[in-house]
Amino acid sequence: MRERGTYAENTWCPGCGNFGILRAVKKAAGLLDESAFDIDTLVISSGIGCHGKIFDYLDLSGVYSLHGRAIATVSGMKMANPGLHPLAFVGDGDAYGEGLAHLLFAAKRNMDVTVLVHDNGVYGLTTGQFTPTTEQGVRTRSSPHGNVEKPFNPLLLMLDAGATFVARGYPGKLDHLADLVARAVQHEGFSFIDVLQPCVTFHDTYEEYNERVEVLDATPDMEGAREIAMQPERLPIGVIYHGTATPYHERLLDQFNPVVDAPSREERLAAVEDILK
Amino acid sequence: MTEPFTFIVGGKAGMGVRSAGSTAASIFNDMGRHVFQMDDYPSLIRGGHNFSVVSTTTGEISSHYLKAQLVVALDQRSYKVHRGHVADDGVMVHDTNVDGDGVPLPVMEEAEQYDRPDLISGVASIAVLCAAVGMTLTQLEEVIRRAYPSHVEDNLAYATALYEAADDEIGGRFTLSEGDRHGAALLTGNQAIALGAASAGLNNYFAYPMTPATSILHFLAGRDRDLGIAVMQPENEIAAANMAVGAAFAGSRVMVATSGGGFALMEEAFSMAGMAEAPVLFVLSMRPGPSTGVPTYTGQGDLGMALYQGQGEFPRLVASPGSIREAFSLAGELLGLVWRFQTPGVLLTEKHCSESAMNVVLEPEAVPWAEAELYQDGDFGRYRLTDSGVSTLLFPPSDQTVKWNSYECDENGITTEDADTVEAMHDKRLRKHRSMLEHLRDMHTVNVYGDTGPAIFTYGSTTLSVLEALRAGDIDARVVQPVYLRPFPVWELDGYRDVVVVEQSAAGSFEQLLREKTDIAVTESVRKYDGRPFEPMELARELGEVLV
Repeated sequence: MRERGTYAENTWCPGCGNFGILRAVKKAAGLLDESAFDIDTLVISSGIGCHGKIFDYLDLSGVYSLHGRAIATVSGMKMANPGLHPLAFVGDGDAYGEGLAHLLFAAKRNMDVTVLVHDNGVYGLTTGQFTPTTEQGVRTRSSPHGNVEKPFNPLLLMLDAGATFVARGYPGKLDHLADLVARAVQHEGFSFIDVLQPCVTFHDTYEEYNERVEVLDATPDMEGAREIAMQPERLPIGVIYHGTATPYHERLLDQFNPVVDAPSREERLAAVEDILK
Repeated sequence: MTEPFTFIVGGKAGMGVRSAGSTAASIFNDMGRHVFQMDDYPSLIRGGHNFSVVSTTTGEISSHYLKAQLVVALDQRSYKVHRGHVADDGVMVHDTNVDGDGVPLPVMEEAEQYDRPDLISGVASIAVLCAAVGMTLTQLEEVIRRAYPSHVEDNLAYATALYEAADDEIGGRFTLSEGDRHGAALLTGNQAIALGAASAGLNNYFAYPMTPATSILHFLAGRDRDLGIAVMQPENEIAAANMAVGAAFAGSRVMVATSGGGFALMEEAFSMAGMAEAPVLFVLSMRPGPSTGVPTYTGQGDLGMALYQGQGEFPRLVASPGSIREAFSLAGELLGLVWRFQTPGVLLTEKHCSESAMNVVLEPEAVPWAEAELYQDGDFGRYRLTDSGVSTLLFPPSDQTVKWNSYECDENGITTEDADTVEAMHDKRLRKHRSMLEHLRDMHTVNVYGDTGPAIFTYGSTTLSVLEALRAGDIDARVVQPVYLRPFPVWELDGYRDVVVVEQSAAGSFEQLLREKTDIAVTESVRKYDGRPFEPMELARELGEVLV
C-alpha cells in the first residue's frame, strides 16, 4: 500500500493542525485501499490558503484549484466522470467566504462529492485576518478593535442547505477523523466535514478544543443534529447527520457517464445529422 | 443580384413574433430559397415592441433588409415603427384597430374568439404571408400543422380566417420562385455553435443563462440525451468555468458560454485554464456594454476583453466566425485546438450571429474529432517539459498520480517557487505558443472574399453585413475577414496597404488590433454602435462614400 506522501517540502508551522488532517487523510486513503474501494477513483482538489498545501503533500491525483473554487472544481470532475470520488479540501475563508455559493449549492444538489473544511477561524496564509467563522470580538490584524461580525454556524448552514452527510472532526482525535473521512468519501451524495483546526500562529485553540471536544457515540436524527450544531458549550465530533437521497448526477444523468459512456464519433455524427434533418 | 423579398412582422412581446419569423424563414427554406432572419426584441417578457425580419432570395443572402415587401403590424406601435420600412413595391398590413393607411385585417377581432388572443395573433402574420405569396390554403395548413402543433385546431381555424381576408386584398401579390437550396438546415448561430462542438466530441456543457448566449443552453439541454452530452446549469458563471476545468481534468471535452458580464466572472478560471493547461472552450457572445449595457442587442465591444482575458501570460486562442456556417465549423475546430494544445480558447461572436438564423448546408463529418496527445508509458509527469511545450494527458482513475495546478509547479504538478522552474515553465508555455503559431500557419485563418477592388477589413458577423452591402450596392471590393484574432494571422495579410475597416465598436477595437499587429494603413473606418446590426442598403451607402 502506498504511503501517499510526496517529496514536496512541508511549510506548515510546527504544531499546525493541518498536520493532523494530513495524517488522517493518508490513513483514510489506506483504510479505503484496504477495503473494496478503488483507491484510484479518489481524486482531490483544494482551494488557496494554508489548507491548500495539503494538495502538494498528498500523493493523490487532483486539481490545485483557486481560492473558493475547489467545490466547483470537484463538482465538474463528478459531472464528467461520476465513477470518480472527489474530495475537496477547503479553508473556512475559502468555503464560507469566497466560495460560499458553491458550498451551498453542492449541498442543495446533493452533489456526490466530499468537502473537508480546515476550519481555523483565521486567514493564516495572509497572516491573520478574521474569517466567516471567527467569533465576535476577536482581535485580528484586520479587526484590531475586535471582530464585529457574528460567525456562521457551518453545521447548521449545511443541514439547512440539504447536505446528506454532516460531520465534525478534530485532528487531535486522529483515528476518529480518518474514519470520518473514509466514511464521507464513500457516502453516496454530498458529504461535509467541518474540521476544528487550531492555528498555532494566529488562532491557537488546542487547549480550548481539547477541553470542549467530545466524541459522539451515535448519529442523531435531524432534530438531534440541529441541537448538536447549536450546542454552545461542548464541541461534539462525529457524524451529526446522515440521510439518504439520490445524488445529483443520477437525477440529471441517470446512469450515464459522460466520459466513460461517451458516444463514438460515428454515433455522435449520426445524432447531429438527425438533428439537422 | 436577385432582388430580395423581405417580410417584417412586428408586435408586442408575447404575440409570437419571433416564432412567426422562424416560421416564415422555414417557408422560404422549403422553397429552396436562401434565407436570413434577424430578431429584434427588448429585454422584457410582455409588452414592448418585438419584430422579426426575414429576407430571402434565390441567390446568396447574408443579411436582413429593412425595406420590406410585406410588413405585418400586429399593433399600433409596430405600425409606427415600420411604416418607413415598406418598400416602394411593398404593402403594409395591419390590425383593423390600428390607425393607419395600409391594408386593415381583423387580426385581433378574429383572435378574440380564442383562449389566448395575444398569443395566437402571430399566426395571423403567417396566414397573411402565405396569401401574399400565392400559397394555397392547403399549403398554409401544412405550415400551421408543423409550426404550431399545440392547439393546432384553433390555430388552423384562425389562420384560415385571416388567410381568406388577406387573400381578398393582397392574394398572390408577390411571386416567389423556387430556389436551388433544398435540404439546407435553418439554424441560428448558437445552434450552429452547439452542433459544431457536438460534432467535435463535446461531453459536458456548463452554462449560467445570459443573453445572447442562453439559447446554446436551451438547445443542448433539449437534446442532451440524443447527443450524449451532460448539460448542467450551475449557480453562476464562476462555477460554470471552474466546473469546466474540473471536467477537463476528468477527461471531458467541455465548453462554457456566456456574454461579457459572465465572461468577466470567468476570468480567474480562464487564467487557471492557461496555467493548469486545461482544454476548455469558452464562447463569448457579445452584446453592447459596458456593464449590463443593452442586453438583447448586438455589438463588438468585447474584442479587447476576449484578447486579453485572464491575469498573467499564457497561450490562448481567440477566433470569431464570419457566418453561421463558420460558427459550426469553428466551434468544432476550436474544441479540437484547445485539446491539441491544452489551453483555453475563445469563440468570440455577437448577438447578431448567435440569434440570427440562416439556412445552411453543414458537413458534420468534416469536423475533426477533438483529440489530445495521450500518455503512453513510462513515468508520467503532467507538465513534462517538451520541445513543443505540450505534455501528454492522462486521466483519472489511474495508479499514476495526475496533478493539475493553478500555482506554478514542477513537471509533476507539485507547487514551486524555484526560480529556475518558474522560468522553465514559462518557457514551456512560450514554446506551446510557438507550436500553436506554426500550426495556425498551415490552417485557413483568414477569409478573403473577392479579388478586385479596395480592401475592406472586418470580422465576426459584421462580415455578413459587409458582404450583403456589397451585393446590395453592387460595389466592387475585397473583404478580408481574419477568423483568428489571437494569435493574429499577420502572415496572411501581406500586401494590404490602404484599407477600410468596418466594425460594430465605438472605439474601433478591431482597427486598434490591426494597427497594433500590422503596418496596414487604415484610411477610413465605418462603425456602428447603437446595438443594431448594419442594414445592407445603409452600409452600402456609407461604403460608397468612403471607397470613392
